Amino acid sequence: MLSSDTHRTGPLHITAPTASFEENSKFLHQEFAGPFPDQTAAVPLSALNNLNRAVAVIGTGSSILYKNRAFDELFGGSELPAQLREFIDPVAQGIDHAGSRETAFDDGRTFRFETVKLPEGVKLPEGLLVIAEDISKRVAELARSAEQARTDPLTLLGNRLMFRERLRELMANLDPAKEMAAVLSIDLDRFKAINDSLGHLVGDSLLRGVAGRLSSVLRRGDIVARLGGDEFGIVQSGQSQPQSAAALAKRIVDLVGRSYLIDGNLLNIGASVGIALIPADGIDDDQVLRNADLALYRCKQDGRRTYRFFENAMDEQMQARRSLELDLRRALAMRELKLVYQPQMSLSTKQITGFEALIRWHSPKRGLVSPADFVPLAEEIGVIVQIGEWVIRTACREAVGWPQPLDVSVNVSAVQFGSPSLVPAILSALAETGIEPCRLELEITESVLMKDQGAALGMLHKVRAAGVRISMDDFGTGYSSLSYLRSFPFDKIKIDQSFVRGNPDDPSSMAIVRAIAALGKALGMTTTAEGVETEEQLARVTADGCTDVQGYLISRPLAPELIGEFLQSHTDGAVASAAA
Amino acid sequence: MASDLYRLVYCSRNLISGIPTQIAAEVAKILEASRRNNSRVAVTGALIFNAGMFAQVLEGARKDIEATFERIQRDERHGDVEVLAFEEAQSRGFASWSMAFVGRSRENENLFAHIGSDTGFEAKRLEGEHIFRIMRDLAIDEETRAA
Repeated sequence: MLSSDTHRTGPLHITAPTASFEENSKFLHQEFAGPFPDQTAAVPLSALNNLNRAVAVIGTGSSILYKNRAFDELFGGSELPAQLREFIDPVAQGIDHAGSRETAFDDGRTFRFETVKLPEGVKLPEGLLVIAEDISKRVAELARSAEQARTDPLTLLGNRLMFRERLRELMANLDPAKEMAAVLSIDLDRFKAINDSLGHLVGDSLLRGVAGRLSSVLRRGDIVARLGGDEFGIVQSGQSQPQSAAALAKRIVDLVGRSYLIDGNLLNIGASVGIALIPADGIDDDQVLRNADLALYRCKQDGRRTYRFFENAMDEQMQARRSLELDLRRALAMRELKLVYQPQMSLSTKQITGFEALIRWHSPKRGLVSPADFVPLAEEIGVIVQIGEWVIRTACREAVGWPQPLDVSVNVSAVQFGSPSLVPAILSALAETGIEPCRLELEITESVLMKDQGAALGMLHKVRAAGVRISMDDFGTGYSSLSYLRSFPFDKIKIDQSFVRGNPDDPSSMAIVRAIAALGKALGMTTTAEGVETEEQLARVTADGCTDVQGYLISRPLAPELIGEFLQSHTDGAVASAAA
Repeated sequence: MASDLYRLVYCSRNLISGIPTQIAAEVAKILEASRRNNSRVAVTGALIFNAGMFAQVLEGARKDIEATFERIQRDERHGDVEVLAFEEAQSRGFASWSMAFVGRSRENENLFAHIGSDTGFEAKRLEGEHIFRIMRDLAIDEETRAA
């Protein structure tokens, strides 16, 4: 007879617990039916008069046979509200004898009604007992916490949960034959730097500023949310695509990229926007969001502060990248990486002075993979730190076994200088292998000094203090800033091969080589010309004043086991040519 | 409170298209809205429109300047906004103008031809100072003439 079914009327979508109902029903059941059936009839309804719950008994014909004071307090003494009548009538007709339902009234209140059929055999008129409760506060509370769970407290935009729900809802209701929608995935450039340098209070204000600007460009029906840290999302619907999404993205890149004045600071950030179209770019919210993120990833590769639409090729490229990433991580574990060594020769003595260690990856699956293909990926995913430390350790260990104590140089990238473990790794490689520190040389590019000059310089000085030498690699290709050359006492400048191999009829490359060589001489640095392949180039860089050379003319990079033999033949050759 | 007086100087590129009279009408609208908004929050300043460039000086409490600037940044009628100065000021240069519109007397001259040639930090600061002075002189000059 008791039903725990919960019926709902009105626009509510919130389910409330029914525990109180169970308790009350039991109480009333006892009042009317038990524990001693003979005695129950003697309990008059007036016993309910002072009950703190609103109770009424509805008889056939929708007549109210009884109501207590609490009921009157809720619904007024004389005239019953129309909505209460709407509730009572079907109940009285026996449609719903027992159960629980929630009803929102026009006056803003929400009630829960429990109905219980009066037990048979009781000396009462036939009817239904109705218990009413004003649950407006609880409903409002639930609505508020539901809202809160979907709101980003910092910006007061929706959060990821809200975004997902609304996106799913939109995709479920979209008629793919007639409409298109777009998802824009937005990421801020340089936000982290501002948050780190000026503190999170300024960072938070900036995020609120971005949220305000994003909200200002939306149209009715668009959805905006903060998806995480400095990520935002927009769903644009009801407009012609893809041109509307392109226009919105362009506006966002411009608007978010305009400077901000926050707490007395002038702040500049950028925005990148990846766009996926619905339904073209995904059958569900997961896929659409992922594809918008892939397009966003492309923006970052293309230099940020721009927008890109998702293309299927991006997915393929991402798969290929992921597969390369897996293989690369495995290569580290499986020791598929090897070092080869390219000799460097002094032009004055014609003696080999040292070798540059170069990395090679022989993948059993892919064959020989070019460093140009896997080093950028390794930098992006951070494994360059491990790889770099392995290179330093291996180069030191192998150099110790060489027949002569020649120099060994290793390339260290800007990303590695971002790792606090770089200096300890170098020092421990020196200690473990016992190599004389002055034989090790780090080759860095200008990018190391561009990124965070102070930190990198500090690390360079520490390494230098241990006796390790430092050279400036690829000079001439980047900014070739003299201030970088002046910022640290480099031991060597390596002149990029593009100038060495430059067209002999093009006087500018030759002038650059000559200028760098002169600069090196004045600053007391060795100048090594890279990529020397012909006798003619050798003669030219010698004439231009370089002190050392490296390139195929001297030797290709050599496997470690060939170094002894190479040194032997080079010494013999040098002796022979000196004797000739 | 004198210590909370800030001055902002920026310049930007006009993005209003149309013939000169249409642009002039739009600039008049900008000016009207600016005067209305500024008088509410005790922001004073001057606006100049010359040779396709806007330059504006805003003076007032820091919070008010920041809020006003945010509204300006969201305006699609200009772009390439370059903040030349944002710093504490001893006194208002345009105390009696909620937004003076200057430069009418010099419309045929390119007053800011040199802007953008050097964008170094120090150069910007000098530029901000320079533009502020040009605009204040123009405002005083034009007011005297009108009187």
